[in-house]
Amino acid sequence: MVHAFSDADHLPNRRPDGQPASPERLPRQRRGVTPQMHGRYPDFDAMSQQEHWDDATRTMVVSRVDQVPPIRFFTKDEAIALGILLDLALAQDREPRVPVLALVDAKLLEGKLDGFQHDDMPPDPETWRQVAAGLDATAVQHGFEAFRVAPTGVQEQIVGAFAAGELHGRVWDELPCAKAWGVVMRGALSEFYSHPWAWNEIGFGGPAYPRGYAVLGPGGREPWEGEGALDVDPVTDVRERGLE
Amino acid sequence: MKLANDSRFLLDPHRRDVPGRHRMRTYPAGEEVDLVVVGAGAGGTTLAQRLARRGWRIVMLEAGPFWDPDEDWVSDEAGSHRLYWTEPRIIGGGDPVELGKNNSGRGVGGSMVHYAGYCPRFHPSDFLVRTEDDVAADWPISYDELKPHYEELEAELPVAGQHWPWGDPHRYPHRPHPITGGAEAAWRGARELGIEFRVGPVGIANGQFGNRPHCIYRGFCLQGCKVGAKASPLVTHLPDALAHGVEVRADAMATQVEVDARGRATGVTYFRDGAESFQRAAAVAVAGYSIESPRLLLHSVSSRFPHGLGNGNDLVGRGVMVQGAPQVAGRFPDTMRMYKAPPPEISSEEFYETDPGRGFARGFSIQTVSPLPIAWAEHVLADGHWGQALREYMRDYNHWYVLGALCELLPRAENRVTLADATDRTGMPIARMDYTQCDNDRANIAYARQKMTDILHAAGAQDVLTIDRYAHLVGGCPMGTSPENSVVDADHRVWETPNVFVTDGSVMPTQGSANPALTIMALASRLASRLGGR
Ligand SMILES: Cc1cc2nc3c(=O)[nH]c(=O)nc-3n(C[C@H](O)[C@H](O)[C@H](O)COP(=O)(O)OP(=O)(O)OC[C@H]3O[C@@H](n4cnc5c(N)ncnc54)[C@H](O)[C@@H]3O)c2cc1C
Ligand code: SF4
Repeated sequence: MVHAFSDADHLPNRRPDGQPASPERLPRQRRGVTPQMHGRYPDFDAMSQQEHWDDATRTMVVSRVDQVPPIRFFTKDEAIALGILLDLALAQDREPRVPVLALVDAKLLEGKLDGFQHDDMPPDPETWRQVAAGLDATAVQHGFEAFRVAPTGVQEQIVGAFAAGELHGRVWDELPCAKAWGVVMRGALSEFYSHPWAWNEIGFGGPAYPRGYAVLGPGGREPWEGEGALDVDPVTDVRERGLE
Repeated sequence: MKLANDSRFLLDPHRRDVPGRHRMRTYPAGEEVDLVVVGAGAGGTTLAQRLARRGWRIVMLEAGPFWDPDEDWVSDEAGSHRLYWTEPRIIGGGDPVELGKNNSGRGVGGSMVHYAGYCPRFHPSDFLVRTEDDVAADWPISYDELKPHYEELEAELPVAGQHWPWGDPHRYPHRPHPITGGAEAAWRGARELGIEFRVGPVGIANGQFGNRPHCIYRGFCLQGCKVGAKASPLVTHLPDALAHGVEVRADAMATQVEVDARGRATGVTYFRDGAESFQRAAAVAVAGYSIESPRLLLHSVSSRFPHGLGNGNDLVGRGVMVQGAPQVAGRFPDTMRMYKAPPPEISSEEFYETDPGRGFARGFSIQTVSPLPIAWAEHVLADGHWGQALREYMRDYNHWYVLGALCELLPRAENRVTLADATDRTGMPIARMDYTQCDNDRANIAYARQKMTDILHAAGAQDVLTIDRYAHLVGGCPMGTSPENSVVDADHRVWETPNVFVTDGSVMPTQGSANPALTIMALASRLASRLGGR
C-alpha cells in the first residue's frame, strides 16, 4: 500500500525553491468543509463528532461556526485593506473562507486582549488600525492610491515585506513593523486554527471531552479520526491502480 | 506516611464543582482574621490548607473567578482565554517576555489550572549556585529542608513517573503513564546519542485516587483539566482548606496591604463588585505570583514606607526570571497526532548541572510540549512561514512532535517588575516587566536548541522547525540572608514588615531547570510547618 505522506517532499524546507507543494494536488474535501476545500483528510469532519462533546464546549464551537459577527470595530476602508492582508497571509484565495477578519473584529470590540503590550507599541486594537493605514501608505509609495487597488502581485510583495519586518516610511516609522506583524498574525492564527474547518484540514480531532483518546501509538488513529489522503494525484492514481 | 489532606475524598465523583464551595465558612466584615492570603494559586492555597489544619482562621482573596469546571471550562484552545491573566501589562527590555497565556493564570487554583503538569523537584545544587558555580545567589535554605515537603506533595498531587535518577534520586507514588509515538521516537533518537529520558514526572493520577477520575488522554491540560485528573490546587488543596474553615473570596482584587504607624500590616484593601473593601488581619500572605506580588507591594505605599512595602532597599520586583524555552519540532514518516495524551510525557535532566566543557554555567532540562493547533501555528510562524507555506506545514500537523527545553536563565537586578503610568479598572497602576538576557543565558539557550535538534535528527526527523520562547516566571521578591540582598527572609517574612509573608514563586532566588509549581507548593508547606499552630 502507498503510505500516505510518509515522505516529506511537500514541505517548503525540503524543496529546492523553498515553496510548498501546491494544495491543488490534494483531493477536494468530501465531508464537511475545509478552507478552500483542500482535502488532506478528505473524509474527516470534526463537526460530525459533536454529540461526543460536553455541552459547554459544543455551545461555544457551534456558535463559532454558525454565528459570523458583522464588522463593527473596523471602518469600511480598514476592513477592506485588512481583509486582503489576511487572505494573503493565510492563503485563503477562494471560498469557502474562515471569516477571520469578522472574528478578529469581534474580539477587538469585546476588548479581549492577550495580556501584554510592548512598550514601543500601542494597544493591540490600535495596532490593527495603524496596520491598515500603513498598508495604504506603502501602496502609495508603490504609486497606487490605496492597498486595495494595487494589483495582487504588488499586494503580495507588500505583505512579504511586512512579514520580513521591512516596511518603512510614514506609519512604519512610528510602528515597529515586525512586532505589528506579530500582533496581526497572533490574532489571525488564533481565529483561523480555532475554527472547525481548519481542524478538518489538518486532521485535528477537536474537542475531546468526555470521550478522550485510546490509540496513542505511531501511525495509530481512533476509528472516527480521519485518514490522510494519498500523497499522489488522485486522478492518475485511480487510473494507475485500475480502479476506474 | 499519614497525610493530613482529605481533598481527594471531599470531591464529588460525578461533578467537578468543588463541593464545599456553597457552604464554606464566611467571616463577617470587620472581623480580624488570623491571616489573609492574596491569591488562591499554588503557593497561596497550599499555605491556607496547611494552616487551616493547624487552626488558623483564614480569608483568601482571589482576583479571578471561582471556577466550576463543568460549566466554565471548555475542551477548546481559543475558548480557554479566560483562564489566563489577560489584563494589560507592559513589556520591555532587550528580550521582552510575552505574558498572558504563556505564563500566568487567574482564578481559584491559579496558574496550575492551566499548567502542563510537569512536577519535577529541584536538584540539591540549585540551592548552592553561588558556592558551587559562582553565579547568582545561594538560597537561605537547603534541599534537605524541602525534601520532606516534596515527598508529601508528590503523594498529594499525586505525581506519576519512573524512578528518577537525577538530582537526589527518588521514586514516585504513581506508576508512569503510557506515552505516544512521538515520545517514543524522540527517546529513541536520544538513546542513539547516549542521552537518557524518563517518563514523567507529572501531577496526574495513574490509578485510583480518592474521587478523582483517571486521565482520559485528551491532551487539553493547558486548557484546564475538565476531568479532574490533573493536579491543581482547586482539586488538591482547596477542598480540604474549605473543610477547615477557609473562606475564598473570589473576584476580589487586592490593591493595597495597609500598615499602621508602627509599620505592622493591619489587613488588605481589595476591590470587589466595583467597590472597595478592607479585610482586617493579624498577618498577610502575598501570593499573586511573580508579577502581581511585586506590583501589590510596590503599590502599598504609606508614609512609613513611601517606596512600597519591603522596598526600602529598592529590591522589590528585581531578579524576576523566566526560563529560556526554545522548542524544536521534528517531522516523522508516521502520523504522531501529538494532540493526544498530556503534553508532558518524558523528560531528561542529563544537562541540568554545570558542565565546564559547555562554556556556560548551570544547564537545562529537555521535555515534551505537544502544541495544539493554535500553538503549533505560532511555532510554524516563528520559523518564518506564512501564506501557502504556513498552511502546508499546518496540514502536516499530525506528522510532527515537539521537544522543549527549560534553560536556567540567571537572575539579574535590571530584570524587574515596576509600575507603569497607565492604570487598570481599579485605578491601580499596571505592571511593567523588563527583561534582557546575559551572555550565559544566550549560550545556554543556543546549546539546548542544538541538542534537541540533534536528538530529533537522530530519531529520523525529515524536517525540523524551531521557535525561541520563554516559560514560567519566578523571582521578584527573593528570599535571602539579609535585607541588603533580599526582600524576604528564609521564613518568607518581609524584612521590614514581619507580619507580611510572600508565599509564591516570587521568593525563589534562582530557578533551576525544573518547572516551578511543585517547589512553590513545597516552600508553602515548609513555611506552614514553621509557623505551626495558632
Ligand atoms: C502554559 C503554562 C504551563 C505551565 N506548565 C507548568 C508545568 O508543567 N509545571 C510547573 O511546575 N509549572 C508550570 N507552569 C507554571 C506554574 O503554573 C506556576 O509557576 C505556578 O502556578 C505559580 O504559582 P504561584 O502560587 O506563584 O502563582 P499562581 O498559581 O499564578 O497564583 C497566583 C494567584 O493570585 C491571583 N492574584 C494575583 N494578584 C492578585 C491580587 N492583587 N488580588 C487577588 N488575587 C491576585 C491570581 O489571579 C492567581 O490566581 C506553567 C504555566 C503556564 C502558564
Ligand atoms: S490529558 Fe488527562 S490530565 Fe490532561 S486535561 Fe486530559 S484528562 Fe486532564
